[in-house]
Amino acid sequence: MDRSRYFLIGLAVLLMAALVAVVGQSLTAGREPARVMPVVAAPTPTLPTEAGMYARASRAAEYASMPTEPNRRRTLAVYYARRAYPGAPPAIPHPVDEREAFGKACLSCHGSGGWAPRFEAYAPVTPHPEMMSCRQCHVPLTPGGEGRARGPEAVRGSVSDWQTFAPPRLHGSAMPGSPPPIPHALQMRENCRACHAGPGAVSGLRTTHPERVTCRQCHALAAPPAEAFARAPERASR
Amino acid sequence: MTRRDLLRSMAAAAAISAAEAMFPGILFGAAGSPGTGAAELTPSDGGVTWRKTPCRFCGVGCGLLVGVSNDRAVAVKGDPASPVNRGLCCVKGYHSVMALYGKDRLTRAMVRKDGKLVPVPMKEALDLIASKMAETIKAHGKDAVAMYGSGQWTIPDGYVASKLMKGAIGTNNLEANARLCMASAVTGFMTSFGLDEPMGCYDDIDHADVFVLWGNNMAEMHPVLFSRLLERRLKNPAVKIIDLATRWTRTSMAADRSILFKPQTDLAIANAICHEIIRTDAVHEVFVRDHVSFHEGKTHIGYGLEDKFTFKDEPKTIDLARYRELLADYSVEKVEALSGVPARELRYLASLYADPKKKVMSLWCMGFNQHTRGTWINNLVYNIHLLVGKIATPGNSPFSLTGQPSACGTVREVGTLTQRLPHGDVTEEKARKLAAEIWGVPVERIAAKPTYHTVEMFRAVDRGDIRFLWIQVTNPMVTMPKLRRYRDGLRKDDRFIVVSDVYPTPTTDVADVILPSAFWIEREGMWGNSERRTQHFERMLPPPGEAMSDTWQMIEVARRLGFEKLFPWSEATHIQEIWKEYRRFQAGPEHEMAPYEELRRRPGVMWPFVNGKETKWRYNGQYDPAAKAPFDFYGKSDHRAWIWFRPYEAPPEVPDAQYPFWLNTGRVLEHWHTGSLTRRIPVLHQAVPAAYVEVHPNDARRLNIVNGGRVRLTSRRGTLILPAQIDGRARPPEGQVFVPFFDESYLINELTLDAFCPISGQPDYKKCAVRLERA
Repeated sequence: MDRSRYFLIGLAVLLMAALVAVVGQSLTAGREPARVMPVVAAPTPTLPTEAGMYARASRAAEYASMPTEPNRRRTLAVYYARRAYPGAPPAIPHPVDEREAFGKACLSCHGSGGWAPRFEAYAPVTPHPEMMSCRQCHVPLTPGGEGRARGPEAVRGSVSDWQTFAPPRLHGSAMPGSPPPIPHALQMRENCRACHAGPGAVSGLRTTHPERVTCRQCHALAAPPAEAFARAPERASR
Repeated sequence: MTRRDLLRSMAAAAAISAAEAMFPGILFGAAGSPGTGAAELTPSDGGVTWRKTPCRFCGVGCGLLVGVSNDRAVAVKGDPASPVNRGLCCVKGYHSVMALYGKDRLTRAMVRKDGKLVPVPMKEALDLIASKMAETIKAHGKDAVAMYGSGQWTIPDGYVASKLMKGAIGTNNLEANARLCMASAVTGFMTSFGLDEPMGCYDDIDHADVFVLWGNNMAEMHPVLFSRLLERRLKNPAVKIIDLATRWTRTSMAADRSILFKPQTDLAIANAICHEIIRTDAVHEVFVRDHVSFHEGKTHIGYGLEDKFTFKDEPKTIDLARYRELLADYSVEKVEALSGVPARELRYLASLYADPKKKVMSLWCMGFNQHTRGTWINNLVYNIHLLVGKIATPGNSPFSLTGQPSACGTVREVGTLTQRLPHGDVTEEKARKLAAEIWGVPVERIAAKPTYHTVEMFRAVDRGDIRFLWIQVTNPMVTMPKLRRYRDGLRKDDRFIVVSDVYPTPTTDVADVILPSAFWIEREGMWGNSERRTQHFERMLPPPGEAMSDTWQMIEVARRLGFEKLFPWSEATHIQEIWKEYRRFQAGPEHEMAPYEELRRRPGVMWPFVNGKETKWRYNGQYDPAAKAPFDFYGKSDHRAWIWFRPYEAPPEVPDAQYPFWLNTGRVLEHWHTGSLTRRIPVLHQAVPAAYVEVHPNDARRLNIVNGGRVRLTSRRGTLILPAQIDGRARPPEGQVFVPFFDESYLINELTLDAFCPISGQPDYKKCAVRLERA
């Protein structure tokens, strides 16, 4: 037997041990009471606006024909790590000029996306380009415009006991194969294509069919759940 | 369970635990594991209830929906139902709930024993406070105890404080930090209109054609309202935003025109605009004839730099002709020389106000109020609007913005200031009688003479006239001007300092007792924002450890002092009971407050709330049930708004050969006041981790200062070394520097001057003289 075989056997043993450890830990972790228990959501009376429904629809065909370029840095995990909770305004991971706080400067990349050679990445697109005071909600993780972005602890922090809920995920189709409902609130995110289509979209969030432009024709809003429809009793008694 | 299900759930659990290990603080498992029927029905945002509250931070008063899950706040949304922000927040609001979870939250009471703060049971701390208070009153009189509160106090906090200090104990030693931020706005309103708070509301933004921002970096300080201005302009490209300031800021960047003026010359600029309006015959003659009267007061009124400074104005009624004569010194040419603003810019400004086709909104905040002539400059901007009759109608609105969430609701309306009662001044017999009747105390108990405003109160502590001071929801050991004197004063041996807060601060450092407070949505309360909107929030979360609401802390101490009968409420319903009692003070069409049930139901209700209707524009007969005519300025006995002639007067300290630079101080968007909350929110702290001094590039070059290099700032009162920022977010003109005050490691108020407006008692944090050296 040559040495590479010993190495391979050793590696296999190590991997199996690691598997046992991870699975064991996850099983016990699974038995621990959840730290945040789901409670019934209160219905919000407002429906999302239709603004932005068709934004970037003219590019739908291009998006459909684009090869799915794997994201180099901006994975789904990174996407959520830049937000204090799902739905929070993401922090800015790249150096910014302190004197460029309004629409134009930011929108030159984040308005319609495209390749940004400076960062070797496709720029993510904002779902609300009509809001011009960008730095009102988005703050840099690179103060003074120096250095590289900091890790997730910069957003969620080690000096804080902050906890939040899990990122939304697709589930809850009414029947097998039927279109899944939209699993997140649409406030300021009425433009689906901003995050779900195009090369700047995180690969885990991309739709398989960007060429279909009326997203909400098939995908209904899932959250928050409305109370089941019932006729008012006094009407029935009349 | 089939083998396949088992494997699937194992894989999911492994993935979840791996994800949780990678991203601490995210509960990946919380939404339920996939594959189980129950989890499929779970709303995908994690099963969260959304409950309404006003934002914890500034005076805009945005409506938030806080996501609560299993007694923890886990997320924030802007409340689309709130007419203030319509679903949008700023970065502080979106991350506000993270301030609940800093690892160093105060959860136990502390008492100083042998020089060291040691944890004690809450009961022991409350007993000690009550006995010290009683002891001090017995030995030194009731004016030897004092309370210093906050514009972040809830309305019930302020109400109980007022009832305890003024009704139960019988001293006017009650002040709040809003004295440092809003006092000049109040005296401005009182002298011009006889009643406090704006006639208009935020809806004015949707009607105005021109916005003139007077010394107000709105993009950073009132970001959500500024977004409403930008939205208005985006939809109506003819709309103009004019930024009138002493420093080029993010607001100047977004404005259509940025006009820079020399510090303090806003007084002259406002007079020049009035001069120009009269010169070009643009006065609205009918409005002025029917609704305005003219007045002048004392001049050379001093700066309050000496202890026990007092001032009393002597108003004289004059006429338009005399007013015109007094304005003669303020032609645009003369004011150009003083202010550095070209005469054509001044004419342009006057033309915007004068144009009968344009609706004009003026907005201001600390630039006006933190001013040794703060009352005057408030009066002066009202003068402009009154001369052209652009007031109290939709879109025509001189609008005084506030800094704190309840500077209006608590400090100004409940009246937690030495001269105020929940309705009226302590000097008015009628007001004392009303308070005595509602509170059930003898009218003689309520002292008829104001004692100390904030700066004088801290001076009195230093001198020893005040021996006991209870500080709640504020951090004066960062915010007092000329800080060293007042810190040394509080540290003196026979002073007893109680501090109620949620985190350790430089103020808890000097405390003899620290009480841990329930924070924001850990208790029930109400706040009142800049547009007369009262906003209720319920208790959504349990406070940590022994933390107790500020209201209940005061009630516990009041009961120990023997005032059980004045504070009979139960813990479960006291907020509702307090609101009911407080509403009696404001009954009547001029200030009627909404009932409790209404406040619970809606994301804020504006007062006067008469017959189920909010009053959006006061003094305007079309909207205001208290107005008896198309325009009725009923706050004044002559039913007119008062135009005051107020001259330009120089500030007390101006740059000279020894101290050649102006020092200006203020806030940044990411931090709230002294940073005790926002610096514990990681994303905000990372964005602006430390204070700095903004220097003009030419000054920097001359003094060999580089970006990030260390600079020594020295004033006549103190010295401080901090990093330079050159052409960062803002640029001060040559000869000026700016330092934000949020950072307790760089206490810029060691350098500032404790000069104040003689009428309002509010100090000027925007102007003093410093020397600059490379360190």
